Amino acid sequence: MEAELAAKLVGELKETGISFVSYLPETRLSQIVPLLRADPFFMLAPVANESEAVSIAAGASLGGRPAAVYMEGSGIYVGAYNLLVLGRRLGVPMLLLAAYYGSILDKRNSFLYAMPGIHMIPILQSLEIQYEVLDKGDSLEDKIKGAVKMMHAIKQPVALLFTGEFTA
Amino acid sequence: MNRSECFEFLTPLINDQLVIGSLSGQRVEWGDRCQHEGNLLVASMGAALGVGIGLAMVLPRRKVIVLESDGSMLLSLYNLPTLGNINPSNLAVFVFDNEVYSGTRISEPSATAGKTDLAGVAQSCGIEHAMTVRDLESFKRESTKALEENVLRFVVCKVDKTTSHRQIERPTEDLWEHKYRFVRYLERTEGKKIFLGRG
Repeated sequence: MEAELAAKLVGELKETGISFVSYLPETRLSQIVPLLRADPFFMLAPVANESEAVSIAAGASLGGRPAAVYMEGSGIYVGAYNLLVLGRRLGVPMLLLAAYYGSILDKRNSFLYAMPGIHMIPILQSLEIQYEVLDKGDSLEDKIKGAVKMMHAIKQPVALLFTGEFTA
Repeated sequence: MNRSECFEFLTPLINDQLVIGSLSGQRVEWGDRCQHEGNLLVASMGAALGVGIGLAMVLPRRKVIVLESDGSMLLSLYNLPTLGNINPSNLAVFVFDNEVYSGTRISEPSATAGKTDLAGVAQSCGIEHAMTVRDLESFKRESTKALEENVLRFVVCKVDKTTSHRQIERPTEDLWEHKYRFVRYLERTEGKKIFLGRG
């Protein structure tokens, strides 16, 4: 992802009040990490597994800090159980920022990523997690604002899947 | 030592701490013994410690207590490197380790009945104050320190296999009601809004 896009993404998170990010870095969106780290507005929790990224974000959210989880799309699979029991069953708002690897517009797609990419949206649908796909930077502001508004409204996780321009 | 005795000692020490529970018989016993508004029942194995870490990070002046079990910790060992690195000084973790999956009703042994030493794992992840207690006096001493001192403590409590929780009537409060009670308590005592969004 280009530096300008990364800065725009982080700027929008801040604008919407997301101030806590648990994360397991990956290839496509990782340029956001140094930007998050450089801004004291954000409290960060680097983790070893996306399941705990979800549970830590849930704790932060219940403690009054609007929270996001940044991860590769594979994290949706790894974190699915905690998304179900904490996000959906307990009802805890959090924004999921996932690199939509293996999607048709993923510029790094390969036989390594296509299969999990194909099943990503069915997994979210089976968990009844609202989601939006972003492939261009020009929709970033509206989609982040809308997703954050939605997560507060339904007190549930909402996912943004980044592909296209974001995966360059 | 049994878990009920530990809870009997711990309950009067609870005032404004946040107490995060996982699953197993301990959630039934703790909920029955301590009706504290700051209790949050996660009701899932492998998730309570993560929730406790998140709460401890964003509420650094609040003591957060996590009640875990051996089965739940074994399911989420990935929490320990993260816990060691973040090192929240306001967090106390108690792992009630009866060395069995008692919820199975056949009491199949967990890994801690074999070679696994959870306090040893925690220590190797950089959690300096990780220890195992095997009797009630040691539990009283370590839990008092854990509640009074501003330092991360990880206390593995070796307890007997008991089924007394099966005699306790189960609560009717569902998880959403329980969550809202916890959140409203936090909002009141922290003086801030937790859930955002306009009506």
